[in-house]
Amino acid sequence: MLRQAFYGSLLLAALGLHAGDSVKLAITGPFTGGSAPMGASMRDGAKLAIAEINAAGGIQVGGKKLKIDIIERDDEAKNERGALIAQELAAMNDLSGVIGTVNTGVCMAGDKHFQEKGVTKIICPAAGSASMTQWSKAGVKDLSIFRFAAHDGIQAAMVVEEAINRKFTKVAVVFDSTNYGVSGRDDMLNQIKLQGNKLQVVAQEKFNIGDKDMTAQLLRAKAAGAQAVLIWAIGPELAAVSNGMAKIGMKAPLIGGWTLSMSNYIDNAGKNGNGTLMPQTFIEDPITPKAKAFIDGYHKTYKVDRIPSAVAAAQGYDAVYIFAAAVKQAGTTDTHKIKEALEDLKEPVKGVIATWNHPYTKWNPADVTTHEAFRREQTVMGMVQDGRVVFGNAADKARLIKEAAAKPAAKPAKGKTK
Amino acid sequence: MNPSIIGQMAVSGALMGLVYALIAYGFQLTYATSKSINFGQGELVMVSAFFSLTLTNLGLPYWLMVPGGLLFGALLGLIVERAGVRLALEQKSEGWILLSIIIGLFFFSAAENIWGRDDRPFPTPISADPIHILGVDITRLELSVAVGVLAIMGLVELFKRRTLLGKAFEAVSADRDAAELMGISATRTVMLSYALSGAVAALAGILVSPITTVGPTMASALILKAFSVAVVAGLDSGFGVVLIGMALGALESLASFYLGSGWREAPGLTLLILALAVRPTGVFGKAVIRKV
Repeated sequence: MLRQAFYGSLLLAALGLHAGDSVKLAITGPFTGGSAPMGASMRDGAKLAIAEINAAGGIQVGGKKLKIDIIERDDEAKNERGALIAQELAAMNDLSGVIGTVNTGVCMAGDKHFQEKGVTKIICPAAGSASMTQWSKAGVKDLSIFRFAAHDGIQAAMVVEEAINRKFTKVAVVFDSTNYGVSGRDDMLNQIKLQGNKLQVVAQEKFNIGDKDMTAQLLRAKAAGAQAVLIWAIGPELAAVSNGMAKIGMKAPLIGGWTLSMSNYIDNAGKNGNGTLMPQTFIEDPITPKAKAFIDGYHKTYKVDRIPSAVAAAQGYDAVYIFAAAVKQAGTTDTHKIKEALEDLKEPVKGVIATWNHPYTKWNPADVTTHEAFRREQTVMGMVQDGRVVFGNAADKARLIKEAAAKPAAKPAKGKTK
Repeated sequence: MNPSIIGQMAVSGALMGLVYALIAYGFQLTYATSKSINFGQGELVMVSAFFSLTLTNLGLPYWLMVPGGLLFGALLGLIVERAGVRLALEQKSEGWILLSIIIGLFFFSAAENIWGRDDRPFPTPISADPIHILGVDITRLELSVAVGVLAIMGLVELFKRRTLLGKAFEAVSADRDAAELMGISATRTVMLSYALSGAVAALAGILVSPITTVGPTMASALILKAFSVAVVAGLDSGFGVVLIGMALGALESLASFYLGSGWREAPGLTLLILALAVRPTGVFGKAVIRKV
């Protein structure tokens, strides 16, 4: 009996020692199913960053360097699974933070568990507006949820702007019936109003996840005279729309949310996908040395020649560096302290998308951008071309190259990047 | 109502309906000889499609992949017969219902583990560019579905009518005991019907995958429709499933245009209920006379 107690306490001591010896970071997302290109790319991008940090000895926390321990959970893009995972993770008492979630519906179902326990979570790359506005609507005073993705507000503005710039006047608004699709539709309609009602919505069409035949919806849009299709949905169904348009000879371009850059859209749509436009935070084009190193690293580590979702991978990578900077500044693995540090990051964080200078500020329920890292400037228009995503606008590419070249000249401490 | 839109919706729906008809035909093949149905037929469609995709990815040309896929489908059909149906039939029980569902579930899990849960594109040399016929856009891919479905059904019917083995098949479907007295092995004929039914499922998978992509859940929607078609048409009319399949496809597509995309499934279910209520043997089914 005594001996058992002795070994038991030894074991507990060992476990306790172990817990203090690392930073526990959970990565969640759909690693299988229709949303997997985003989930798996985000995870793999994040793991690249974690491997780099660990290889350099870990994060400097107080007097010692701590390595990052990953806890991976596949939510399969299912809301109920996401909620269970959030419950499980929130119950761990030594978890320092969570990065992930691809599907807005999963955020809506699970994030309340993190918020209740005050667990720091950086949403990445779910972009649906509702994942942050749910907290501002509820008037939450202190929020532990942050986001690292160009939210749909920014994206919808760009989509509507693009349609207006291309001199379209009649558009169809098409969306899937998930929280993401419906919230995207609301954003687009809202933006059309905000940008002076220059676009007339001649058809509003909806479809479900798993639908393969969109002929009915597209014929209605075509019959109404839509010159462009503004769309909010996810991978496989987007391809069904593109292929359906080709079938009925509808030449209108597809402009929509960033998910149009997913590999399962690009591959399943084939040449019908050419010319599709969508906002992107990162394009797999080695225009800067940092981007080149990241892209090469990803290709080599995961043995691919195209990142399934480059946006998700780059965001996952940068999100880990921002999280690590917060842990270092907090000087502890305590998730509440890390949250406070995130709201006031003193040092700029060099990422592959940009150099992040004070990305977040203290939560203000009246202004959701306080917990949003991305602004319009970090987002460019991408275009599908022969199975890859390229810059939709040459001026964006030139600007990013110029900004990257200008950085070394600027004083590091007072760098004027966003 | 725009006639060209009605035409477009009816034609593309009817062409998809032929896939329901082909799967329904698979039900009929086994029902004829053994009065049993493989409730895992949808999984046969899916696993064969995945297998054919693997063959294509290994570099096999399309026209070699198709027979490869059909053979594999036939083999799966034989497995279902041996592992589930025969045992139950020998004991004269209805156990084949549960057993075929269980084998289907097993195939589903196996496919998820081997090929993953993602939907994948299915390459085909047949172009997806539309051709304009009488104001209606049809793709060659959709036409290939029609040609493939009608060709294999025609071949199987020819086989049943013109070959000795086929005649044995017909004899067993007409009267199993009498056929056995004439020296025909009913067991072998049932095996043959399951192999044929598996090959037919494989062809359905190969034809429909370039349009719908391949994924573990690809057949779940198809199979329900196919079942409606088989029940509405009657379980012994090859000609009937083609007609009912095309009609159901066209109705679905028109309903999703005029009533809204959420109403797509309504016509199939309504037809099924009506058929079961008014004519349980199916529109083209033969009424069975019971001699006492």
